[in-house]
Amino acid sequence: MNRCMKKGMPGQLRQQGYGEMCRVPGRKYAVIYRAVLMENMQYAANIAMGFFSYFVFIFIFIKLWEYIYRTPGELIAGYTKEQMIWYVMMTEMIWFGSNTGAVARQVTADIRGGNIAYLMNKPYHYALYILAKYTGEWSIRLPMYALLAAVIGAAMVGAVPGFRLVTLPVMILCVVLGVTINAVFKICISLFSFWIEDATPFQWLYDKLILVVGTVFPIEIFPVSLQPLFKLTPIYTVCYGPAKLIVDFRAEKCIEILSVQVLYLAAGCALMFLVYRKGVKKLYVNGG
Amino acid sequence: MLTAVRRQLRVCMLSVKYNIMREMINPVTFVTNIIFMMLNNATILVQWFILFRLRDDIGGYTMKEVMLLWGLTAASFGLSRVLFARAFSLSELIVSGKLDSYLVQPKNVLLSVMTSATNISAIGDFLYGLVLLFACGFNVGRFFLFLLFTGTGTVIITAFALILGSLSFWFVRMEMFGNQMVSGMISFMTYPDGIFRGVSRFLVYFVIPVGMAVYHPVHIMTEFDAGMFLEVTGYAVFLMIAAVIVFYRGLKRYSSSSLMEARM
Repeated sequence: MNRCMKKGMPGQLRQQGYGEMCRVPGRKYAVIYRAVLMENMQYAANIAMGFFSYFVFIFIFIKLWEYIYRTPGELIAGYTKEQMIWYVMMTEMIWFGSNTGAVARQVTADIRGGNIAYLMNKPYHYALYILAKYTGEWSIRLPMYALLAAVIGAAMVGAVPGFRLVTLPVMILCVVLGVTINAVFKICISLFSFWIEDATPFQWLYDKLILVVGTVFPIEIFPVSLQPLFKLTPIYTVCYGPAKLIVDFRAEKCIEILSVQVLYLAAGCALMFLVYRKGVKKLYVNGG
Repeated sequence: MLTAVRRQLRVCMLSVKYNIMREMINPVTFVTNIIFMMLNNATILVQWFILFRLRDDIGGYTMKEVMLLWGLTAASFGLSRVLFARAFSLSELIVSGKLDSYLVQPKNVLLSVMTSATNISAIGDFLYGLVLLFACGFNVGRFFLFLLFTGTGTVIITAFALILGSLSFWFVRMEMFGNQMVSGMISFMTYPDGIFRGVSRFLVYFVIPVGMAVYHPVHIMTEFDAGMFLEVTGYAVFLMIAAVIVFYRGLKRYSSSSLMEARM
């Protein structure tokens, strides 16, 4: 039997030419991505149920910034009130739109529950399988949240100041890279479950770091001495970079952010493969 | 009557105790969950330090009052998830027909259900609340008021979750709605009421019970007001009674899924 046809393979994979698929590098991940994407399209209504939390969060921040900005046209850290609210809406859109279970809960559950023993023997790299699955999940969620953010923003704040439609493709690229970098780092953290059984508490800390420092404020609002430090963290590439380009697009800033994102992604992937390789050596399977 | 109440309370406490003991099988994970939850909560202070660099007050609150607000929210939410965690996932029990095993027990159904699970990381929330209270400066009067309002806050949050969960007796797909409402409530609880005006103020005081759970208690702890104090305690009792009535009304509509399940 072809290794690709082992038990547990998604149904759609079984219906295609697996032998050929396994020989073409990357194609199996594209098939996994497509299968998850199609599965998630069935649950679009469920995803929409999460809009309430996003709306509450944005509503609170609109009220908060309305309170803090006391005079029209006032600038805080170089941002107008509209820019500041749009910044939060964009970072939260990325956060809510990419906040799916695959990279955090599933990896930890697979390792804790022993399911990893089956998955690591499949003809794919487990970490890339999770990444493909995750990409399939957010490919539905993120556009839905982007649409919601655009509607709420237009209704409650007004248009993004200085927004040009021609810059949209590069902004989308920047958001996609940011989401992927975030996923890679979250997988790395989840893989620590090989050593400590449950890496969820580390996920909380990482999430809070991104949420508090990255999504709520732009980096410019922090003390000048701390700003270079934040630029070295994933915050710069995951939240700040994409949102900054959306609210205040500049060509030189765009090149800088994209370059840093590519470097970060390469380093993150290297770390992910290393942690996985070291981790599987620690795996004990207790029958079952 | 009193003996029956005492026995019921003892059963509830034993249930919580065994829930915690079950989680302590892996002590490292147990302790890590608690400590990291406290650290997780502590990171939020960064946000407030930044905001107070911009303005001296946010919604009429100083840093000390925000810490009190956070402390009370964390302690109330934490205690409700330690003692009555199942109230937050009641919908799933109803939808999947898993209430059967509680119905055949000789003790109070609602209390047995609510105390049948404990969220361990919530211990970290509760302890974090106490840490923030002490960080605001120790004061005996405020300490006892804090403990009392943690109690009323716990009752209000649990009752609110219970009412939302009980809606599953009548409507389908309420679990996600309930979770969204509870998380929305927690989001509102961690920001000063002064930033909400007009409709949003009405919302946090009369639709989502945030005002009675934390805003009024923080105002009382800052400056005691007997009228407000009675309002908060009266509201907590009222909401608790309402939640119990809604649950038992709904329970009459419950139909078993013939699921075989043992509860030990």
